[in-house]
Amino acid sequence: MAQRIVVDPVTRIEGHLRVEAMLDDSSHIHDAVSSGTMWRGLEVILQGRDPRDAWAFCERICGVCTTVHALASVRAVENSLGITVPRNADIIRNIMFLTQMVQDHVIHFYHLHALDWVDVVSALKANPGATAALAQKVSPSWPTATEGYFKDVAGTLSKFVASGQLGIFQNAYWGHPAYKLPPEANLMAVAHYLEALKWQKELVKIHTIFGGKNPHPNYLVGGVASAIALNGDNAINIERLTMVKGLISDAINIVENLYIPDLLAVASFYPEWTKIGGGLGNYMCYGDLPQNGIGDVAKFRFPRGVILNKNLSEVLPVDPADPAQIQEEISHSWYRYPGGKDALHPWDGVTEANYTGPKPPFKQLDENKAYSWLKAPRWKGQAMEVGPLARMLMGFASGRADYKEVVTAALGKLKVGPEALFSTLGRTAARGLESQLAVHWLMDEYDRLIANLKGGDSTTADTQFWDPATWKPESRGYGFTEAPRGALGHWVHIKDRKIANYQIVVPSTWNASPRDGKGQHGAYEAALIGTPVADPKRPVEILRTIHSFDPCLACASHVFGPDGEKLVEVKVR
Amino acid sequence: MTAGSADAALDPRAVPRAPILVLGLGNLLLTDDAAGLHVEAALSAERGVSAQVEFVDGGTQGLSLLHYLSNRRAILVLDAVGLGAEPGSVHVLRGPAIDGLRVQRSTTAHEGNALELLATARLLGDVAEEIVVVGVEPARIATGIGLSPQVEAALPEAIERARAVLDSMLRR
Repeated sequence: MAQRIVVDPVTRIEGHLRVEAMLDDSSHIHDAVSSGTMWRGLEVILQGRDPRDAWAFCERICGVCTTVHALASVRAVENSLGITVPRNADIIRNIMFLTQMVQDHVIHFYHLHALDWVDVVSALKANPGATAALAQKVSPSWPTATEGYFKDVAGTLSKFVASGQLGIFQNAYWGHPAYKLPPEANLMAVAHYLEALKWQKELVKIHTIFGGKNPHPNYLVGGVASAIALNGDNAINIERLTMVKGLISDAINIVENLYIPDLLAVASFYPEWTKIGGGLGNYMCYGDLPQNGIGDVAKFRFPRGVILNKNLSEVLPVDPADPAQIQEEISHSWYRYPGGKDALHPWDGVTEANYTGPKPPFKQLDENKAYSWLKAPRWKGQAMEVGPLARMLMGFASGRADYKEVVTAALGKLKVGPEALFSTLGRTAARGLESQLAVHWLMDEYDRLIANLKGGDSTTADTQFWDPATWKPESRGYGFTEAPRGALGHWVHIKDRKIANYQIVVPSTWNASPRDGKGQHGAYEAALIGTPVADPKRPVEILRTIHSFDPCLACASHVFGPDGEKLVEVKVR
Repeated sequence: MTAGSADAALDPRAVPRAPILVLGLGNLLLTDDAAGLHVEAALSAERGVSAQVEFVDGGTQGLSLLHYLSNRRAILVLDAVGLGAEPGSVHVLRGPAIDGLRVQRSTTAHEGNALELLATARLLGDVAEEIVVVGVEPARIATGIGLSPQVEAALPEAIERARAVLDSMLRR
């Protein structure tokens, strides 16, 4: 008999995402519904404010990605006002951006996604000596791989589990037959998870150094708020920069010697997941990591473009400023557009809530009506997947040698062809391979910064257009970045020196998008279709695919309480 | 520790870590969710910079706050705390009460919150001897800047209670 499974929420992090999956008689998902169940409406808060302040509000949108929203925001305002930032500012922004990406990807793998593949409880049964032997084989360059070390880790873990407060481990399906790793591999993964946790505490110090503080580092329209004097005492000097270099070296070590070996080891136990979860087959990137200013798109290390229907022989151009390309539809969303319109470009975007869904708590959504607080962004009318897989494919299809090298090496180790990329496991692997590229690019950016500073250029901001008196009465701009979760765009309309309109299209709006007017599914929905579910009561398969996207529905509340859900009041305007 | 060897030795201006952390949590864009941040800002303003206490506006960040928790004697968390009491009620929670919250919360799947952060610190074996949560019961959590009248009215009491906890931490 056909069944409907509801997973609410499926994120292990900030946000409210609900997924409903319809099973057919053979226990395969034949249709799926992805819904954002929390109203954000940040755009409304920004109206009427000074555009130079927008980044500081945007940083508070998300519980994970403060810096990417700030970056997209200052770029949008600079684009609108015609500001070109100095070279140092571009480089420092790149360093902040790559730091966030590497930290986020490593943490996603170990903290948010590994538990879908790694059975923590089974790790308690591992033989520490055999685990040490395995670890030495999998990650030969990682020093902590002795029997005593794994005994200690097992001890810590069993104490933690015995305390009855599983905390971070509480929402997985321990003992589910879908877990395939032997106990030793599970213990090794848990040990490395703890190492990654300790390491990430250090890496984010790069944000403190360049952004003045963390969380919520400082950004600046026109450049960066980092004063640099190599030999000074009261600015970022050579001692501070040396610390940054040390942190980057550690990050390279973690990615090359821990993350990638673990990723490939875990992946090798789950070959069937290279055939599940592919989904749309359409991919989009705005691109990022400018090497010659934000205007020189061809020189981005993350290329821009669209791939349609998994066709890697063609990369189509994307223009965020073209009103006919990126539009947000609302046929299945709880919003209202003026004049009964169904789709608007973000410059003309409107954030007006129109909740027509059932009164919470409800049993199920009706996908034939509006069913999400997310709009449905589309590129030329087509649904798109964004994120690490999109970026790796874009680099690969654009013929970039560095991308080809890491992708080909990983495919070779797993003994699969490029078609394996279009899958849940492909998405997870792409995140690791992207980290490999990004962490070396991080060192490249550091070297560029030092070279530029030593060349005598210490300018970090262009304040020519800081004074609103220099602005045109009306202007529009867009800013973009490749956030860890995918293409992020901010669009701003400035009028009479104030924000007249501000629209944000976040990566998870693309990926978790509801259906559109033509009935086309969003990326999560499409990726779930066809997935076999062994036990509908414990649908770990759904979590694997959704988590492979690294979902993040921004702006969750943060309340202690026996039932956080009840505290959330949805305000309908 | 193997990873993250860029420690204090590499940082010439590293100052000894303050033994007490005051951590404000919440989303400034979600009305009463930000109650803890208002309390944190008020306390921070009246105390100024000191070697004994570090004040941090943690926003809604999760794991990126982990390094703030490490190597402390005492931690005071300021947050919105929803226990179903009258809006504006001030809650002071210690040890078992915080653990109790965690157990109740295990029926929901919301993670990435302060409880998880504390549990993660415990897993790493780096957890303060004393952890106290001072929280305000929210009236309204919705997109918007500023507090509801009930929570606004409760701020002086919340600050007073937080101040008392902090003073007792300092006396130890």
